[in-house]
Amino acid sequence: MRRWHSSRSARPGTAVLAAASVLWLATHAAAAPPAPAKVDYNFQVRPLLADRCFVCHGPDEKKRKAKLRLDDPAVARRVLAPGKPDESELVRRITTADPAERMPPRKSNLTLNNEEIDLLRRWVAEGAEYKPHWAFLPPPDVVPLPSVADGKWPAGPLDRFVLARLERDGLKPSAAASKEDWIRRATFDLTGLPPTPAEVDAFVADDAPAAFARVADRLLASPRFGERLAMDWLDAARYADSFGYQADGDSHVWPWRDWVIAALNDNLPFDRFVTWQVAGDLLPGATRPQRLATAFCRLHRMTNEGGSIPEEWRNEYVSDRVQTLGTAFLGLTLECTRCHDHKYDPFTMKDYYGLGAFFNSIDEWGTYDNSAFRPTPALPLASPEQERALAAGAREVEALAAKLREVEKSRDGAFRAWLGRPDLKPDVPGLMGYYPLDKLEADNRLANLAGAKSPGSTSPANTLAPGKVGQSLRFTGDDGANFPAPAALDRGQPFAASFWLQTPEVMKQGMVFHHQAGTDTGFHGVELSFDQGRLFFALVRFWPGNAAAVRTRATLPAKEWVHVAVSYDASGRASGLRVYLDGKPAEVEVLRDRLTKNVEAGGGTLTFGERMRSTGLKGCLLDEVRIHDRALSEIEVAQLHDGRSLTDALARKDEAALRPYYLAAVDAESARAREELRQARQRLFAAQTGVFEIMTMEELPHPRQAYVLARGNYDAPHDRPVGRDIPASLSPFPKEAPRDRLGLARWLTDPRNPLTARVAVNRYWQLFFGRGIVATTENFGTQGALPTHPELLDYLARDFIVSGWDVKALCRQIVLSSTYRQRSVAAPELRERDPDNLLLARGPSRRLSAEELRDAALAAGGLLSQKIGGPPAKPYQPPGMWHAMNAFLPDYVADKGEGLHRRSLYTFWRRTSPPPNMLAFDAPSREVCVVRRQTTSTPLQPLVLLNDPQFVEAARALGERLLREGGATPEEKLTYAFRLGATRKPSERELRLLVQLYRDQVQLFRADPTGAQKFLKTGDRPPPPGLDPAELAAAATTAGAILNLDASVTTR
Amino acid sequence: MSANEPLDPLTITRRHFLSGAGLGLGALALGVCEAASGAPAAPQFSGKAKRIIYLFQSGGPAQQDLFDYKPLLNEKNGEQLPDHVRGGQRLTGMSVNQASIPLAGSAFKFARHGKCGAWLSELLPHTGSVVDELCIIRSLFTEAINHDPAITFFQTGSQIAGRPSMGSWVSYGLGSMNENLPAFVVLVTKGKGDQPLYARLWGNGFLDSRYQGVKFAAGKDPVFYLTNPEGVSAAGRRALLDKLEELNRVQLERELDPEIESRMAQYEMAYRMQTSVPEVTDFANEPQHVLDLYGPDVRTPGTFAANCLLARRLAERGVRFIQLYHQGWDQHGDLPRQIRGQARETDQPSAALLKDLKRRGLLHDTLIIWGGEFGRTSYSQGKLTKDNYGRDHHPRCFTVWLAGAGVKGGLTYGRTDDYGYNIADEHGEAISPDKATFTPGAVHVHDLQATILHLLGIDHERLTFKFQGRRFRLTDVHGHVVKELLA
Repeated sequence: MRRWHSSRSARPGTAVLAAASVLWLATHAAAAPPAPAKVDYNFQVRPLLADRCFVCHGPDEKKRKAKLRLDDPAVARRVLAPGKPDESELVRRITTADPAERMPPRKSNLTLNNEEIDLLRRWVAEGAEYKPHWAFLPPPDVVPLPSVADGKWPAGPLDRFVLARLERDGLKPSAAASKEDWIRRATFDLTGLPPTPAEVDAFVADDAPAAFARVADRLLASPRFGERLAMDWLDAARYADSFGYQADGDSHVWPWRDWVIAALNDNLPFDRFVTWQVAGDLLPGATRPQRLATAFCRLHRMTNEGGSIPEEWRNEYVSDRVQTLGTAFLGLTLECTRCHDHKYDPFTMKDYYGLGAFFNSIDEWGTYDNSAFRPTPALPLASPEQERALAAGAREVEALAAKLREVEKSRDGAFRAWLGRPDLKPDVPGLMGYYPLDKLEADNRLANLAGAKSPGSTSPANTLAPGKVGQSLRFTGDDGANFPAPAALDRGQPFAASFWLQTPEVMKQGMVFHHQAGTDTGFHGVELSFDQGRLFFALVRFWPGNAAAVRTRATLPAKEWVHVAVSYDASGRASGLRVYLDGKPAEVEVLRDRLTKNVEAGGGTLTFGERMRSTGLKGCLLDEVRIHDRALSEIEVAQLHDGRSLTDALARKDEAALRPYYLAAVDAESARAREELRQARQRLFAAQTGVFEIMTMEELPHPRQAYVLARGNYDAPHDRPVGRDIPASLSPFPKEAPRDRLGLARWLTDPRNPLTARVAVNRYWQLFFGRGIVATTENFGTQGALPTHPELLDYLARDFIVSGWDVKALCRQIVLSSTYRQRSVAAPELRERDPDNLLLARGPSRRLSAEELRDAALAAGGLLSQKIGGPPAKPYQPPGMWHAMNAFLPDYVADKGEGLHRRSLYTFWRRTSPPPNMLAFDAPSREVCVVRRQTTSTPLQPLVLLNDPQFVEAARALGERLLREGGATPEEKLTYAFRLGATRKPSERELRLLVQLYRDQVQLFRADPTGAQKFLKTGDRPPPPGLDPAELAAAATTAGAILNLDASVTTR
Repeated sequence: MSANEPLDPLTITRRHFLSGAGLGLGALALGVCEAASGAPAAPQFSGKAKRIIYLFQSGGPAQQDLFDYKPLLNEKNGEQLPDHVRGGQRLTGMSVNQASIPLAGSAFKFARHGKCGAWLSELLPHTGSVVDELCIIRSLFTEAINHDPAITFFQTGSQIAGRPSMGSWVSYGLGSMNENLPAFVVLVTKGKGDQPLYARLWGNGFLDSRYQGVKFAAGKDPVFYLTNPEGVSAAGRRALLDKLEELNRVQLERELDPEIESRMAQYEMAYRMQTSVPEVTDFANEPQHVLDLYGPDVRTPGTFAANCLLARRLAERGVRFIQLYHQGWDQHGDLPRQIRGQARETDQPSAALLKDLKRRGLLHDTLIIWGGEFGRTSYSQGKLTKDNYGRDHHPRCFTVWLAGAGVKGGLTYGRTDDYGYNIADEHGEAISPDKATFTPGAVHVHDLQATILHLLGIDHERLTFKFQGRRFRLTDVHGHVVKELLA
């Protein structure tokens, strides 16, 4: 099986690799030591049964044939006849010549070859022993260290496991790599960057045995460490800077990315790293970083495509959380169980929706409209100055509210004096618009008796009909009428609207009026609408999590005139939203009282009877609309309803009824104090609105009931409720833990959990060795690859837990191991025997990742920015590429200055159109959780490295650097540049070739000075003065060649 | 054995040609994948089509105004869609709350064309001239009701992200037929706007990145980073590449890693692409009568017409899967005016491509597909006026046509009810087929995908890739080859 010319092992690879790794292990790895005494169920039989038989005879009840399941020994016994293969129905059916009886059946497209049949037969002959799947049993508390013949080679326990395995196979470890190779390897692996020549020199000169540890400790302490490890975690967390579906708006989640970098740099123990991201908000006294970490659960894609059904998408997001949890933390393919019980692993649909139930109870909506209006729940991230301003603003509001109360209390004398006056009129001041709706004027205008200059208007499709008073307006349901609002209605603007309304039936839905902006995927602003016959009155920033909303308890009667009045007092609270029916305060329930920012609907119009793509007021009659620019007191509303309540109260001198009226509508001093308070509130509201927010997790007061959804469909019958639970086939849920995400995190990080620690150490192992001990980093289930070194994996997992989940210690242990320190060169025999280096008889070697390639080129050229974190950067990308595919997006405009040279993990990640120079090097699209990248080799890669302005500019900078700093002779200069790219020194032959290249290029550019000038203008960086253009262009070309060398694009 | 095909430009590994290179590459890739999982190499049959040109009409063209003649809609223009016709089907959030959903007859006249007498609207005169080559399927249906999920489903077989696209599956299964160009090329009409496109539509999913579609753009750099930086001469670049090869050979001797050699081969392939891509995108040697065939737009790079001609040139040079995208069919409102423009842009070039391929003897082994991700409603979204209407998304029936290799020309397959709202049986009665069981006359997206693969000689149930322990395929666990469409 010659596979060595296909790419390296650290990728899912082609069919042959993925499938063959299991096969290889089955036939070689476990069998590699002298033929095993006994067939092993876990390592040989189960992979085979799972691959060929479980589809019909496995855990999935629906697909099960003949009621036979081969994954369950109790059931399988009837076809096995342990110890008596000739009596075994299983053996008979896989060997029979009768095509009608032969298993697997022809139509399954599956077969067993002779070796495999023989293996199963032997297994039956040996007693058909079953064992639980290794990965679902906790790693043992103590993993004994194997004894080894060569006691000197191991630098630590880790090496003993590797060596024991090599010795079993009759192999010897490779010699140690050169110090240059090791420091290059370790520096890239721990920081994602190349070592500087000075770092290399210092290390090479340091003969002490501790030199390695000193370098490792320096690298682990570098802030670049957090950036390096973050790169992998961003893939797992499907981190991106845009939402990913359709219009693909910006998601503004980069503060989470910065949290990851900081957490890794601070060496936050991995159990807390997990807990914070899954449930940081539920920790007692949760801090801002703990809450911020939960953005992890919100990094899934979101849609704002018109016409989307929010509930469908909300379910998608919950599913994505479960899938990511499964892949990133547990190494399980839980997503399979969204539509059916797992076909290979012991997980059911109920398990899936039970896990989903932990993640379904946040106050979220399935769509967003405009990401400036952050999807909820969201965490405000005020800067220290903003914090101070907010605190000061809140104090001011409180003080002015107290002052208003004082003023009102102090106005009793004035009230009585006013009451004593003989000429009191039943005024309801602040009337901005009064629309009798008796007549349609020219241009479909509707007269405003309170201000002739601001008439209303209606779509001509709406018609006049007999009204409460004179005529009224009858709505089609698809057409609206517009009335000028007192101002742009927002949190800090009081207003009231009142009118007569008659509906032809109890309105399940229907837009009464709105003052909103948005699309059918989300509106923000003020709204009064029908909700199952009741009136819903709200100020919305983002529904439902950032809104103040009330709903009447009473249903509006149909077919009769009802007087409706709503009033808002600019308090920003639900208590300030009042609804009156027929002149009386309507009893309401508060649906939401959490408006934290302005609604920013703009405009200045109340639109009645319709809203884009919402249900309108079909067949409803509207009459006598009045709009006030202040909140109304009760008696004023009564007056609007009956035309005499206030008149009568004045006549009666009814103190109780009139005192609130006096303070609200008459008294100038109260009005002044109220206005002062309003202005202070507006300032506070504006300050709150200016605070950056990020989507995070935050539980609803009551969990949302979860259901098993047939085929994963949101609209499947909801007749199978499920509670929050974890799969029964794994470790038990900790007894004292709460049934919420925090309890889930406790379960994940429980030392008995069989998967979390193993999956984590395996991922870190992959980071250093290019492949995990379990090659299928994303799948530890029965269909995943088996561990090449099971005891080592268990040892590392247990050690990781015992160390307090210390990631840096784990990394340190690996880079200082003798295993890691081996040279990577493999003689042909070894490569033939172990092409993928499964046995680790040599050191790791890998092509740099997309990010590392770019960062290394920038570093070599001395261009790399040191800045950590902050909003994403926009380096060079082909111009216009966003807009070309997506008219909702702007053209891509690259940054100027530092943004061109930031580390690649800060590059703006547009999910539907990722940076092409990163995709060319196997960066995933970040649409879904990915824990293992491919490593391919394509012609698009040389095109990037040779022609992308980013790399050309870096080569120019390196060329300039070698000319200025490299020394006197071309040999010195090119040696210097070579070391900046490849870390080691060039061989004589390499140097000779480079010098030739440089000299040839000097000649070519001397003959073509215009070409040299043009070439030196690639990128934003201006060509430096004082250097010969031909020499500089030749140096840049040669530097470019160096950056393209295998020695520069790989670690060896 | 490996799935590395020697002729795949994205993987060329010169020293490691497989001894069985004479085999069909499809058999090779499929054989490998089956062999590795323990089954015998799959005996794949020989397909009629060697390559595909997929003219994807993004946004969802209105079948009632182009292909599916519904005189009843004109008779009942303005009347409400009857409940029994809607049958409780869900509508999108865009029209579900409309107070009125009036039927909208087409503003366009229909006539029969060709020997086969297929109905087409006056918007498609050029298509009419090749109608005897077309296999018009009026009974496609899908599940998704919004663009992003629907187009993702159509192009990858799943609404879920992370799955390989059709072109990736085909290049994975069949490999490349040329040494100088990618096997899977994507062309997008320039400057159309409307519903977005996404890199995932030509993504490789869990397959190797080498199977990713390579997007060509109109203009100076048809492929990202194809052109040398300004001021770098061909001689200078060649000199650099020669030295680079020598230097990498030194490294190969030192490290003994065959991966180095593979990378060296990629540099040569990249160099060849620098010549072959500009050559294929340059129409200078196309005779006038060919340019005329495609219509006046052909002179403007990036138009649908220019892309159709480019598709033919790519097909001639052995590109396996050529995926065009033409946006602009999402006509929720103002449909009569907008669709006229769309038809003007696409009708002539589509027909010209067919004629041109036929003249060159390429049509018999090239499969052409024309259609969008779903259809449109028979009722008007928004206001229906005397001369204006819009149509919302409609997944339950729509029209796609196939032509060329292995396809029965002059066939109109499947029908819809008189309202153009549901797929109908042979008596015109509405039926509601589902993907799980094949209903003759109704073609689910997976059925179309299965049929397309069949035409290439691929059994859609056997072109699989094992990922996360499961064998994935383009058609998920569904799909049925629609034999009636095959010549």
